[in-house]
Amino acid sequence: MKAVAVSAVLFVRILSGYQNPEQIRQMEASGETEEARAALLREVQSRPSDVEALTAYAEFLDRYADPSSRQAYATLLARLEQSADLARGAVVSRRIAALDLLAGDRAAVTRDLETYRNLSGRTLELASSSTAENWPTAPIPGPLRSFARMAAIPGDTTPAEILPALARNVVTNGYQASRGGEELEQTEYLKLVHRYLSQARELEQLAGDKKTIEIPSCEASNAADLLRILGFRMRGGCGSDVVLETVNERRAFVATDSGFPINELEQALRTNRPFTYDYRPTAVPVLFGPAYWLGTKEKEKNLDIAGFVESLISDPSTCRLYLGFSKLDRETADSLRKTGSFTRLRAYAHVLDFFGGMFEVRGGKAVVPGGQRSAGAWADLVGASPDQGGAFFDRLLAKDDGWLASLYDALARIRGPVRDYLVEPAHMKRFYSAIRGRVTSPGPARPVFRSNADMMLLTTRLRLDADGKPHVPGSLDVWKSLFANHPQGKYDVKLSKAANSWKDPDDVLEALFALCRKTVENEPLKIFMALTDLDRNRPKPLAASTVDRLARSFRAYGSQYPIFSESRDLSDASILQFLDTADAIAKIGPADLRADAAGTFQSLIGLWQIFVRQQTLPGNQADVVFSGLSTSFARIRNDVDLFDTGRAGVKLLLGAIPPGQSTAGTSEPQEHFIDLLAGASASAGLEARDQLVQELMRILEAQRIISLDTLFQLADHLESLSRGEKLNTALVNRLSGRISEIQLPRAALSDTEKNAISVGYWTEKHIEGERKLNLRAAIEKAGNDTAKLKEVRGLMAPLLRDTLLAYNYAYYAPPGSQVLYTNPVFVRSHDFIGLQGSNRTWRPTEMVGSGWPTSAGGRLMGSLAALPYTLAEAEQNFLIPAQTQALIWGDLVPQMILSAKIPRWWKVTPSQLHWVGLHLRYGRGLLAEAAFDPVLRGEVLEALGQLAAPVRTKDVEQLLELGDAQNAVERVTPSELFLLAREVTTRHRDETSPVGSEIQRLAQDSPQEVNYEAISRAFGTPKPTLANSYEPELLNLRTFPTLMGYSSRIMAESWESNTLYWAALADELALAPAELNVRIPQWTQQLVEHIFASHLEDWPAVLKSLRLVGDDVRSKSRAARVTDLKTAAFLDFPNR
Amino acid sequence: MIITRRELFGLAAGGALLRAQDSGQRPVFRVKVDMVVLAFTVTDNRNHYINGLKPSDFKIYEDGILQKLNTFAEGGKPPVGVLQDGRVQPLVEGKTEGAPGLDRPDAFVGTNVFILFDTSNFMYHGFVYAEDAIADFVRGLDRADSVAVYTFSRNLSRAANLTRDHNDAISGLRKSVAGDDTALYNGLLLTLRDAAKVPGRKVVIVFSNGPDNASMVAPDDVRAVAEDEGISIYTISTNEVNKDQISSSVFKRMAQRTGGKAYWARTWQKQVEAFEDIREDLGNSYTVTYYPAPNPNEGFRKIAVELVNDPGRKYRVHTRPGYRPGRTL
Repeated sequence: MKAVAVSAVLFVRILSGYQNPEQIRQMEASGETEEARAALLREVQSRPSDVEALTAYAEFLDRYADPSSRQAYATLLARLEQSADLARGAVVSRRIAALDLLAGDRAAVTRDLETYRNLSGRTLELASSSTAENWPTAPIPGPLRSFARMAAIPGDTTPAEILPALARNVVTNGYQASRGGEELEQTEYLKLVHRYLSQARELEQLAGDKKTIEIPSCEASNAADLLRILGFRMRGGCGSDVVLETVNERRAFVATDSGFPINELEQALRTNRPFTYDYRPTAVPVLFGPAYWLGTKEKEKNLDIAGFVESLISDPSTCRLYLGFSKLDRETADSLRKTGSFTRLRAYAHVLDFFGGMFEVRGGKAVVPGGQRSAGAWADLVGASPDQGGAFFDRLLAKDDGWLASLYDALARIRGPVRDYLVEPAHMKRFYSAIRGRVTSPGPARPVFRSNADMMLLTTRLRLDADGKPHVPGSLDVWKSLFANHPQGKYDVKLSKAANSWKDPDDVLEALFALCRKTVENEPLKIFMALTDLDRNRPKPLAASTVDRLARSFRAYGSQYPIFSESRDLSDASILQFLDTADAIAKIGPADLRADAAGTFQSLIGLWQIFVRQQTLPGNQADVVFSGLSTSFARIRNDVDLFDTGRAGVKLLLGAIPPGQSTAGTSEPQEHFIDLLAGASASAGLEARDQLVQELMRILEAQRIISLDTLFQLADHLESLSRGEKLNTALVNRLSGRISEIQLPRAALSDTEKNAISVGYWTEKHIEGERKLNLRAAIEKAGNDTAKLKEVRGLMAPLLRDTLLAYNYAYYAPPGSQVLYTNPVFVRSHDFIGLQGSNRTWRPTEMVGSGWPTSAGGRLMGSLAALPYTLAEAEQNFLIPAQTQALIWGDLVPQMILSAKIPRWWKVTPSQLHWVGLHLRYGRGLLAEAAFDPVLRGEVLEALGQLAAPVRTKDVEQLLELGDAQNAVERVTPSELFLLAREVTTRHRDETSPVGSEIQRLAQDSPQEVNYEAISRAFGTPKPTLANSYEPELLNLRTFPTLMGYSSRIMAESWESNTLYWAALADELALAPAELNVRIPQWTQQLVEHIFASHLEDWPAVLKSLRLVGDDVRSKSRAARVTDLKTAAFLDFPNR
Repeated sequence: MIITRRELFGLAAGGALLRAQDSGQRPVFRVKVDMVVLAFTVTDNRNHYINGLKPSDFKIYEDGILQKLNTFAEGGKPPVGVLQDGRVQPLVEGKTEGAPGLDRPDAFVGTNVFILFDTSNFMYHGFVYAEDAIADFVRGLDRADSVAVYTFSRNLSRAANLTRDHNDAISGLRKSVAGDDTALYNGLLLTLRDAAKVPGRKVVIVFSNGPDNASMVAPDDVRAVAEDEGISIYTISTNEVNKDQISSSVFKRMAQRTGGKAYWARTWQKQVEAFEDIREDLGNSYTVTYYPAPNPNEGFRKIAVELVNDPGRKYRVHTRPGYRPGRTL
């Protein structure tokens, strides 16, 4: 209906008259993109020969990536040619060439460039479409998709990607230790791959020279052969009775698991029709050719190319070397291969696999971090000159079991002043010495994950002060003292001794590098990073005394520190007050009261965080409210105090929010909260906002949450009772009725049964207490006794905790929210204390009890510090992968859901949305132009190399050289496109591209909206682990690998492409920014469900899914737009 | 089954399920929003099914309040409308434009069978035999029955969406892939959510070995959803009862409370027998629909099916004990 209404407006505008460029811009800026498009179209239709109208229309379509821009430009070009405007014609023809190139139409591009040459007199060349030199191949028997299924590789993997993917899976899943770790044995995964290959070879033989399995009829002799190979037999005679049933379990398992069409075969046999199945092998390219991998002896004999795959997967070290080499570009790989022997390289394959991804040889020389300035230092450390690229990397691999290679990798991944600082020769040698230590084994590449996680975080997140020195939070003395006199014991005896003589920030840094090699929890580094991140956005760094207190309290309260990053205006005093309050709550004796106090306090702070992040609570109020909340909760002695303090906190929080932030028509707190949580919105986003309100209310209803209004009204009524007023039975009944709906957790077994079989069984004391609450009886018993009535008020404290907690849960509820809708006591089950003997009150949120039928379902435990992530974690496995084989990617998916739920886009303007869209489109355009402009290509590749690994940058370069811009773009992530466009537009003005010109115009006209900080805030992602903050931001980092202790989590946090892509999509489809609040969670759910990843660093699978969902949304939206326009036209002119 | 998806259905004034329109027009098939679908079987002392009973042979009570039946069906036969005076009349397929869920006017014919197949690591051994047993079961279903095949390990996979083409279902089954953790109750919940969207009689058949090591929801919370949606759960566990007492207890309770049955079938032959028994159960069950008479109880409503002509109480009725109205979210 809304679409029809919009379209009707659009047609009215069409009839109303001409819009000049300024009016068009105003329409765009106010989000009336569709109307602007219609107005421009009208101009073109009314003045089809007008070059300006045609230009405005074509460029408008181009700016919004409308596919019809190609046709609009063609019309414009024809007109320009008619009017002999050669200069403009040349520009347009070049733009058409770029669009055709992006569409993959080489024939059209050739014609376009010919037109360009005719009009401009200049020549643009597109390289030959012939492919680059390919590696020799090896065959894989049978259909590739069947092999891929068995080898756990996505079905759409190209032949060139098969062996690297297989090698990776063999390395990670193919072998396990046996005989006390002395030997390796094949896992079931690898055994199945071997079994499949064996069966496939039998089937291949059956298929014969035609490479097709042909069973002419049920009675045919080869039918029995086929069934025997597959492990099935016929039950019943040929004809309609035929049923295939298992006779050999192993064979049948492989046949069905690999996707052999058993059912089609059964149908063919049943109906006595021929069964035909294409069984051609697939030739897959082998790096350096099979001979290299089969070893010297085999080389001398006839190479067993047919059995190459079996040979490869029989040796995990060879697979690891294959995997390592596959991460290098061809020039680098060739240099290394030529320098080191196969045996020697295989011995260091683990180092190459983990730390070789940034190796780069160009013109025979190693491209080292720091360039020429640091080349000497690298030569000293490695023992070979970077001028001898292959030898340099060969020596680097063999050095110290990977410590130097890991430092190389960490430094090669960063850029800017911090890298310049760290690669300064003296610094580099000093820090290498620290990280290396005396005993080098085991090196950082030995474990399953890279164990240099801390070093990567340190080099990535280190900051320099204005004096060019590393930023040390607080003061040097704080760190000296921390190392020398840590309350929980010394971190390192040697470092503790040395700390007394520290004089320089580099001394601290050296100590931190030294601790990075420790396998135990690196607390000092975590403290350093957390406090560095806290200081990052503060107008004034934290005082030394505050840093000292925070550092010493880190073990107890460290997980809470990201709260302090929410507001840049938080004072040191408020932060210290928070710590005091946490201490005070921890000292409350009764566990019930302690849990309720912590729960209520943390819930209110959680709401404060939400309102600060949404900018609902003004910056100047943030500190006052935070301080007020913290101060008041430091004095809780009993339930009555808790209820009163909680209520006062609600009042303080709501009272600080200026009028106008809420559309609630009442001052009742429940409605007010729901309204604020849903988010303030302009009229354009009311529909989206209402949807969020509905979602919030559904969750509160599903959790049987008691309204704040009811609680507060009853509290007021208790006051009036003490003044002698009559009992309000209706009010008491309302509350009692709601309480009776609270169910005890529905455990499958009785308490006795649970106690008998389970360790760590939890009690439901909190919920039981609420269930037993008979408020009416308590009130009647109290009579008019003021003191007793006050006690009754205290009985409602647990209910108040649940309501405030439920607001937090509902706000962060992931799409679907099956747990919240199914388990009615999920919120109430939150355990703020932890199992007996533990103290989880201020620890990060954890998910416990899943996969344990006696536990009454999973629940959350600990503080609310990681609530958004943990809720997403709890919900992720309810998402349904689109592919049969795929599973939801734990560690990555919660972060993606979190990134779709934490940022809200109510305050985003159409210009900001357009800014992102323009950048992504400009980035694509630059890649296309780079295909026929070698100068631009160099510039583009340099910018791309800041985020992409050398192998991918080289890959893009080769594709561009071949004129394959379409595939080149496919290899570049949206965040890289954004950076690429940003880099190029800041270097020089582009007057020829309408997209580039529009970027410059917006930058000039709306600097407040489109400056980098504003865009980063609007379209960035929260990075609680990487940046110790939930504030959305863009950090423009290379995508991280998996790291020990973090798995894919940091990789997911460094992935910034989703929101940028969604924003560009919304801009393209003319959606109001407010709609992002509803659409992004939905799109993200689809994205997650379509990911088919085969390993923990498979971000290309994320990219593929992102584009798949985007294309689907795009095509549906465009189809709907056509329908709407037709409907609107009909409504306007029903009798035409 | 409580249908609360108001927006999905054309509303019928007065709540009549079916109403033959004036002569010359085909009758319109309509569903009121709070219609209850109740399935049950009747057996004698020897556990033999009793067939051929008529609507007038039953009295259905909710919390002791007698309910007026709207439709009645036996096994896979088409349902008949029950008139005010207790007589029955055949239903005629009607046009149901704009009423998703009723785009199949025969929605209330046959049973919608959702098979939930455990493909986790626990089922690795015997996986193919289990597939054979399920395939046999699907082949033997009544033509009127629709079937969906879902598989689960840590996540759910819709191997074959609900279809009357049983061959499609088998094809989907044969494409399933084994591996990973067992999130049985998560998978069951999602299956129930899908089943709840379909009109007509629904059952879920869980084929699993029982141990769950990854679900976030508790079995009894999932069971409550099945109760409220009127979906019977049949479970076939490949584990022996004494191997996993927790799962056994859960399966028993789940089946009992939803009107289904629980089986323990370690061998392939036992699995086939279990499926055969379920098929018998489906083929010999009665399905009635009714709109609940006014009842102030918004909590659990107890259902009772009484046989009118069974003075010696020779027969046993097997059905779900009740449901909670209006809790679908």
